[in-house]
This record gives sequence, C-alpha cells and structure tokens, in this order.
Amino acid sequence: MKFLIAEDEHDLQQSIATYLERDGNICEVASDYIEASEKVSIYEYDVIVLDINLLTGSGLDVLKTIKKEKKNAGVIIISANNSLTDKLEGLDLGADDYITKPFHLAELNSRINAVLRRGKYGGSEIMEFNEIKIDTKSRAAYINDKAISLTRKEYDLLVFFISNKGRVLSKEIIAEHLWGDDSDLLDNFDFIYVHINNLRKKLTAEGAKYIKTAYGSGYKFIDE
Amino acid sequence: MSNKVRLIKKTSRTFLLTGLVLAVLSTIALYFYTKYQLENELEEVLYSTEARVENALKLGKTVSSLPPVIEVNEVKVLKDKILKDTVIYDPSQKEMELFREYSNYKKINGKNYQITIREMVVESEDFLLAIVLSNITIFGLAFVFLFYFNTSRNLQLWQPFFKNLEQMKRFSLSSKASLELVESDVLEFSELKNEITTLTNKVRADYENLKQFTEDVSHEMQTPLAIIQAKLDNIINSQEINEVQFEQITSIQKDIQKLKQLNKRITILTKIDNNQFVTVENVNLTEIINNKVESFKELKMSKMFHASNEMLNVSMDPYLAEILINNLISNAIKYNNSEEVITIVSDKSSFVISNFGEKALEHPSKLFQRFYRESNETKSTGLGLAIVKKICDLYQFKVSYKFDKMHHIFSVNFSTK
Repeated sequence: MKFLIAEDEHDLQQSIATYLERDGNICEVASDYIEASEKVSIYEYDVIVLDINLLTGSGLDVLKTIKKEKKNAGVIIISANNSLTDKLEGLDLGADDYITKPFHLAELNSRINAVLRRGKYGGSEIMEFNEIKIDTKSRAAYINDKAISLTRKEYDLLVFFISNKGRVLSKEIIAEHLWGDDSDLLDNFDFIYVHINNLRKKLTAEGAKYIKTAYGSGYKFIDE
Repeated sequence: MSNKVRLIKKTSRTFLLTGLVLAVLSTIALYFYTKYQLENELEEVLYSTEARVENALKLGKTVSSLPPVIEVNEVKVLKDKILKDTVIYDPSQKEMELFREYSNYKKINGKNYQITIREMVVESEDFLLAIVLSNITIFGLAFVFLFYFNTSRNLQLWQPFFKNLEQMKRFSLSSKASLELVESDVLEFSELKNEITTLTNKVRADYENLKQFTEDVSHEMQTPLAIIQAKLDNIINSQEINEVQFEQITSIQKDIQKLKQLNKRITILTKIDNNQFVTVENVNLTEIINNKVESFKELKMSKMFHASNEMLNVSMDPYLAEILINNLISNAIKYNNSEEVITIVSDKSSFVISNFGEKALEHPSKLFQRFYRESNETKSTGLGLAIVKKICDLYQFKVSYKFDKMHHIFSVNFSTK
C-alpha cells in the first residue's frame, strides 16, 4: 500500500512513516500545504493521512482538491483541535475518518486498515492471518473456515491485533482502543485482561496461539 | 443587606428628621420668646397702673378699690414691693384664674397705703397650643410640598445612577451583550459611567484572554504530546528493550493519556463557558443511558442495573448529553467496589445513579469543584464532576449528591421549572 503523510511536524511525520513502513507499505511525506497539494494532484495513494493545520494552509483545502480531482484515496484527518465542528466539516468534505492528537500509532494504523477494508481503496473486506479469516462486513470470524463466536469487544480486539500484527501493544493502547475517546477510567486495566484472556482461550481452543505476552505486561499478535 | 436603605428613602428620611428637629426647636424658642414678651408687657401694665393710682392718691382723689384688679388699702407698716403670681377665684368665669400681682407700699400724704394691682395672665397652655398648632400647620404644609418636590427632584437627579446600576446588575462575563449605560450632565455620574465602561471592558478582555489562553495552551500541548506518544510507540516496536524499560514507557503512555484527557476536559469546560454548544435537540437520554450501560457491561467492569419506567427526553446538546451520562457512570464505576451493583433509576424528568461506598465524603460541598479529589489516589482528572455541574448549570438542571445507606447517590433533576 502507498500512503501520504501530510503533517508539518517533522518528528510526528517521521514517526508515523516509520511505523507504517514496517508492514512493507510505502510512505511518502509532505511537510506543508503546497507540497501536500502538489503530491495529491500528481500521485496516486491508497490512504492519505492529513493534518488539518498545515504550515501554509488548511488540510481541509487539500481534502477539497483530492475530492475535486476525484482521487481514489482514503483520507484520515488528524487534528490537534478536538472540535466537533472540525470533525463534522472534515467528514462532510469526504474524509473517511478523523483522529485527534495525541493518538497511538497502533490506533492510526488500525483506522487506516479499516478505511482500506471498506473496499473502495484497493483493500479487501476480508482480513486474513494464517488460518484466521475475518469478514469485516458481517463482523464474523473464522478459524479454518469454522465460525467462532466472539463478543463485540473480543471481535474488536482481534481486528485490532491483526491490524497491528507483529507490534507490541501495551495495555494502555488496547484500553484506549476498546474504550474509545471518553475513557476516564485510566487506572482500571483489569477488564483488559478479562477480554484478552477470553479471546486467547477461544483462539487457542482452535489451535490459533498467536496472542503472545511481550515484556511482561504487553501483548503481541505474532506467528512464531 | 437587611439594614441597607434606599438612597431616596435615606435622603427623604434625613430631610424629614431635620425638619422635625427644626420644627420642635423653633416651637420651643417661639414659646419662650412669646412668653417672655407677654410677661414683660404685663409687668409694664402693672407698673403704669400702680403709678396712676399713686398719682391719684397724691392728688387727694379717692381711689375706689376694684377687686381683684385694683385694691388700695391703708396699712400701718410699709413693706417691700412684691411681684408675684396668684390664683384667684373669678366668679364671673366660675373658675380659678391666674393673676399677676404687684403690691407696692407707699406713704402718701402722711398715710401708709398698700396698692395692689392684678392683671389676668393669658394661660401659657393656651398660647403654647396656638403656637404649636400654627407651627404644625406651616411646617406640615412646607414639608409636604418640599418632600414631594425633593423626592421627585432627587429621583430625576439620580436617574442615570439608578439606570447604570441596573445595567451593572445584569452584567455577566459569559454574556457578550454590552452594557447600555446612560450619559448624564452631572460630572460625577458621567465619570462613574466612564469608569464602569473602562472596568467592565477590562474585566471582559482579561476574561477572554484567560479563556483564550487556556484553550491555546491545551491546544498547543496536543502536538508535542502526539510526537512523544508516536516516538514511544516506535521505541517499543523497533528496538530491543527490557521489561523495566517497557514498564517505564507504558507508564509514560499512561501519563500522556492523562494529559490528553485533561486537555479534552479543559476544552469542554472552556467551550461551555464560551457558549459554543448551541445545538439544542430533543435528546432521548434513556437511549443514551442504555447504550452506555451496555458498553460498560460489555467491558465487564462493573455490575450495573438500569431501571426506567418512563422515557427521559431532554432538550440539550446531544454531545453534552453523552458527556453528562458518561461522566456520571464513569464516576460511579471508578469509586464502586467491583462486587457491588451500580443502580441507575431514570424516569421522565430525573436520573439517579448510586454506587457502593465505604463511608460518606468528607467534603461533599467541594465535590463539583475543579480538581477536587477526596483522596490522593489520582485516578481521575478531577474535572469529570465539574463538567457535570457545568452542563447542568448551563441548562438549569439540578444536580445533587447524598450519601445514604452505604451508597453515594447522584441525582439530576431535568425539570427546569
């Protein structure tokens, strides 16, 4: 997959690129409005990660260009502004998702994958990892074509794990993903163990032993 | 405030009191002065009558006595002259009358005479009454006239002051409406008006600045936080680290998450202050509560029970409605014992949530204050309930807390009547 990271903070831009490239994706970067506008006009991308507050202009204008030129690219807006109007405006203009700074790279990656899976931008609705197959349209999971019954949270967790396969996920990252933005229950991670253990049991029962513990308290979804 | 007096009342009262003191003093003065004059006059009459009698006697005329007015008696011894008051029965009036009496002893033509002259005294009560009555009439009329004149004049004079005072009472930092102050031709009032304008403009500008600053700070913090977080995410994935380092990094992640929550909440508070939540819709709170309860149940964090016999529909911003319910439920979960059931009861105008608690709060009155925490376990941002309160205040809902039968109970009454 080919991504464009339009973000004027160099450190953040590079960090995002580094994280996404680990899956073998190609990441191009744009550091200001002009560069971003040029790149989206000239090249084709699968997903564009677009900061609203670009140094020399608004990311929303870049988004307008993308839509005007009918570019077949998914757009995820990132913004430091946690404002509902910004979010609605971005989505109205045709962005596929919106994420507020600060965010976990695993979360961004999971959102990018979700956008790709919608099928419009060269991704597939079917997610596969060895013998595990997930139909994201019907929210169903199969192991060796045998349906396994998962709760909603277990399903979300499995998708999140596979999206970030091979990465270390701390319980903070997982909690934030499962919980969403409004979590104020910061110190309460007990419930994370419950969900992960349940999912792990269900997968292990079918022979899919991919949820590994990393560094004592983190997790990693990997085939070793 | 109970002993405060209205300006107009106060000036009228002072005016009336001064007038009353003046009236009493002038009545007393007038009384004594008139009395003194009358007595003087009376004595002169007595002296001159006595002199006439004396002259008549000297000329050898027979002076017939005319008691009690004139009495001439022959006496053996001469005494000193006497001036005194005496009371004599007046048969014509059939009452005792007060007389002023002057007795003089003179030797005329070889005979000793006692000449006594008496004159009826005008009774002091009578003229005192006359004076008081006339004074009361005069002062009374003057009072009524001056009082109304002064009061209406004062009212008119102070009009700009009262109007500006009313405007100042309506002054609110959260409302953008400017004060409509009236100009006056009185220098002091005009100065007052200018000072009020300067002051309120300054207060408002400072307040706006502060709000803007708060918003800017929380906004500006987002990008550096995003960079820190992204770098940490890469560190745990791209380098071999040990378990201790991983623990430390995840602990930093937790703090970043806290800062993020804090920022978000500060932004919400500022936005409520700025009146930026203008959408008012009919929100089905029962549905929101059910959804929240479902998602909390899915997370298996706490046992929860929601009883609702009637739909709870409220006119408010839907986003704030979510936050309100979320914060109250989160709060209950946070302080609940995980074995106990959290009970939510809602009907068509209220929402009550209760969770188990070991003991009552020490300072329930501070519960809704920003950054107030009952214990030092900093589990929270300390803003969740402050936001609840702010949202309730915005829509005039009543939120209350009590501790009863080992339960912390929060109630929100949505009826705004």
